[in-house]
Amino acid sequence: MPVEFEGSSVMTMSNSASGETSVSSGHLAAAASLLPPPKKKRNLPGMPDPDAEVIALSPKTLMATNRFVCEICNKGFQRDQNLQLHRRGHNLPWKLRQRTGKEVKKRVYVCPEPSCVHHDPSRALGDLTGIKKHFCRKHGEKKWKCDKCLKKYAVQSDWKAHAKTCGTREYRCDCGTLFSRRDSFITHRAFCDALAEESARTQTNAVAVAAEKESKLAVTAPANLQEKQMAPPPPPSDQKGILQYLPQPPLAPVSMSMNCSNSSCTTTSCGSSSLFASTVATQRTSFSDLIGSMSRPEVEPPSLCLSSNGPSSLFPPAPDRRQFPALQPSAHMSATALLQKAAQMGAAASGSSFLRGFGLAASTSPLAAGGGGEAQWPEPASMSAGLGLGLPYDSGCAAAGLPDMMMGSAALFGSKPAATLDFLGLGPSGGANAGGLSAFINSIGGGGLEAYSSGRSSSPVKTWDGGGGGDVKANGRAIL
Amino acid sequence: MAETADELSSSSATSSHLLSLMSMSPTTITSPYAPFFRNLNADERGLFLIHLLLNCATHVAAGNIAQANTFLEHISLLSSPDGDNMQRIASYFTEALATRLLRSWPGLYRALNPILPESAAASNHGRRLFVDLFPFLRLSFLISNQAILEAMEGEKVVHVIDLGGSDPSHWLAFLQAVSGRPEGPPHLRITTVGEDRDFLAQTALVLTEEAEKLDIPFQFHAVVSQLEGLNIESLHVKTGEALAITSVLKLHSLLASDEATATPRQLFSPIAKIESFLASLRGLSPKLMVVTEQESNHNGANLNERFMEALNFYAALFDCLELSVPRQSAERLKVEKLVFREEIKNIIACEGLERKERHEKLDKWMRRLEMAGFGRVSLSYNGLVQARRMLQGFGCEGYKVKEENGCFLFCWQERALFSISAWRFRRYD
Repeated sequence: MPVEFEGSSVMTMSNSASGETSVSSGHLAAAASLLPPPKKKRNLPGMPDPDAEVIALSPKTLMATNRFVCEICNKGFQRDQNLQLHRRGHNLPWKLRQRTGKEVKKRVYVCPEPSCVHHDPSRALGDLTGIKKHFCRKHGEKKWKCDKCLKKYAVQSDWKAHAKTCGTREYRCDCGTLFSRRDSFITHRAFCDALAEESARTQTNAVAVAAEKESKLAVTAPANLQEKQMAPPPPPSDQKGILQYLPQPPLAPVSMSMNCSNSSCTTTSCGSSSLFASTVATQRTSFSDLIGSMSRPEVEPPSLCLSSNGPSSLFPPAPDRRQFPALQPSAHMSATALLQKAAQMGAAASGSSFLRGFGLAASTSPLAAGGGGEAQWPEPASMSAGLGLGLPYDSGCAAAGLPDMMMGSAALFGSKPAATLDFLGLGPSGGANAGGLSAFINSIGGGGLEAYSSGRSSSPVKTWDGGGGGDVKANGRAIL
Repeated sequence: MAETADELSSSSATSSHLLSLMSMSPTTITSPYAPFFRNLNADERGLFLIHLLLNCATHVAAGNIAQANTFLEHISLLSSPDGDNMQRIASYFTEALATRLLRSWPGLYRALNPILPESAAASNHGRRLFVDLFPFLRLSFLISNQAILEAMEGEKVVHVIDLGGSDPSHWLAFLQAVSGRPEGPPHLRITTVGEDRDFLAQTALVLTEEAEKLDIPFQFHAVVSQLEGLNIESLHVKTGEALAITSVLKLHSLLASDEATATPRQLFSPIAKIESFLASLRGLSPKLMVVTEQESNHNGANLNERFMEALNFYAALFDCLELSVPRQSAERLKVEKLVFREEIKNIIACEGLERKERHEKLDKWMRRLEMAGFGRVSLSYNGLVQARRMLQGFGCEGYKVKEENGCFLFCWQERALFSISAWRFRRYD
């Protein structure tokens, strides 16, 4: 048939020189019904073309590696083409088979093993090499062994591929299991028991420290009763914060933020606030476990693992932060708290010329004149707590604020009876007095001035450590 | 309180004795003060130090060298770089004040503060310690990585420019995150601007190795330059690639200007340098720019203001250390010396171009960036959740992340210390 002939020539061309398919497309259009599309159509594996030719090869044929043997030298070849080319070397007549002129019938192969699913023609495999490998892998003996990990393979190419990646990339979970793939490693970690234990432990540590601080600072915060009833410490609050994204109004200077969000939820259930507290408390452990297992940043693949165990510092070894013992909040006030206190004292006290009396502020005039804008301290009112001391310095009396603070501190430190503390160290109460600063001020402002002006004498002076250490705690409470 | 005031005013006559005593150098008269100072407990001493510091600062600002000197002497009796928290703060601030005083004698000042090329190893070490001991920078890395990931969803070619301040751990985490993308990793280029050639070379090695392991097509370029004289061309931004820029605590150095030689007109806009820099960044049409800065105003012209702000800011930072790291820890001392001491000294003692630590608050940065043609990108809730989760893992109570207008603030006990915000170039202008 002319059409067929034309078709076949076109097809040959298209097979040998794919670049010409476009040229021959005109021909293709004419005989479209008979010609296969230029591209090879791949069936899904195991679902062959219905009108393909089914070929069943014997196991021996499948397993045989060299089916084509040269008659002269008995050398075996996997393909007939290779044998023919070899025969050229012997000066034997050789013939390379061209593709058949007819349309090539699609061939599919079945596995000879009766119990195999591919034994059924409807599940035949379309590739000869594929069926050979399949037969070897599934029904053959595993002759190739990996020396690193003891895995065995029946097909040599599988074994080679494994050997390339075996041991190159490893992930080890804390429980000891080894993984070569990152995704399976991460999935495992999400459910690994060992990890959950460890994260729960750190969680409870943080909770313990928080609870302590919370109880200490709860006294100072002017929280309303409803919030006082809610005992649970901040960490569950942060977890609640995940669930309810509410803006936290700065109610108290300390971390009472959780109380705000909780209170806004439970304003209606005021009566059940104690119940809520108890349920939160009981749920806290399970909740924190859940959050604890979730909170490990390494668990989530898309999230970013900047965990503290990660490569936070590469070149010099990083100090392990976890090694620092959980420091108990000291009895000393923090620097920020001291600054706030100083600001309060400055704002509360009335004017006085205490320090001018010291002679240190003798230069008030240069301050007024030369300072100009420089000696201006920022207005106290405009700054929020902690951001500015708000010292009530006027332009001319910049140093006068200090006496204010000194006075304020005298009032704050409690009124020690004006036992005349000789600030030169005279008298028995020189070192042992707990209200050191107030006594100092009282001595200056009160009647102590005569005492020192009358002369000096030595007195047993306590050592620095002894004097300071014993008084610390007492004064800490006095100040607070 | 009223009584004591009266008492004082009546006793002003006898205060002359006090005057003579106090005006004498305290080192010559040890006995009168020793018992008083020994009587002070830590908190009282801290309060006293604050009072002394404020007075000293006033005198330094006014140029009263003699009085400032007396205060410095008193403070030095009480303060110490390895004492308690307030003592350390006081010692570094007085050092800064004393250095400032020296400026009246330029020769002395220069002799004691030679302009050395910044010791790169020391500052790198300090920066690494800062990353380790505080969560702030790690939070910043986490949030900026998350923001970049979200902005670059679907992009095939991504170019990240790091204007400095980042740790290699930042980009390692980014590589890992980007390799886990559902659509696969993009073709990634990272360009880092820095001043330390060796550090950049090491970063290059580490990142390239990690990218190979993760099978990400990756290129790293190092640009050794200060931000000030940065040649935008050297960043080699190509058309068609999605650009992200990050800057961690570096942008403020561009606010430094030489006020002394500025003309009166220039005095009103000493920010020309930053404007031109931001304009050139905008010219690159970045898809995202993440800026992390200190949340405090250390750029006031008034020294007293700056002193106050700095005192509060660094007091909070010292508090963080006090509550999370033992006092005798060598790392804590180092980060205090290498990082905080230098910053405090720069803020208080330096002026003009030398003063690089010109921190400003978020609202000022927002205005500046908006004027430069950037539009704000709200940081996502996802980032906030991850940040809070990381803080939980950090294990120290008191650190918080707050959200405000789409930007995040890293706080210590309600005091905001660092801000992070995200921007993109605005089309209309």
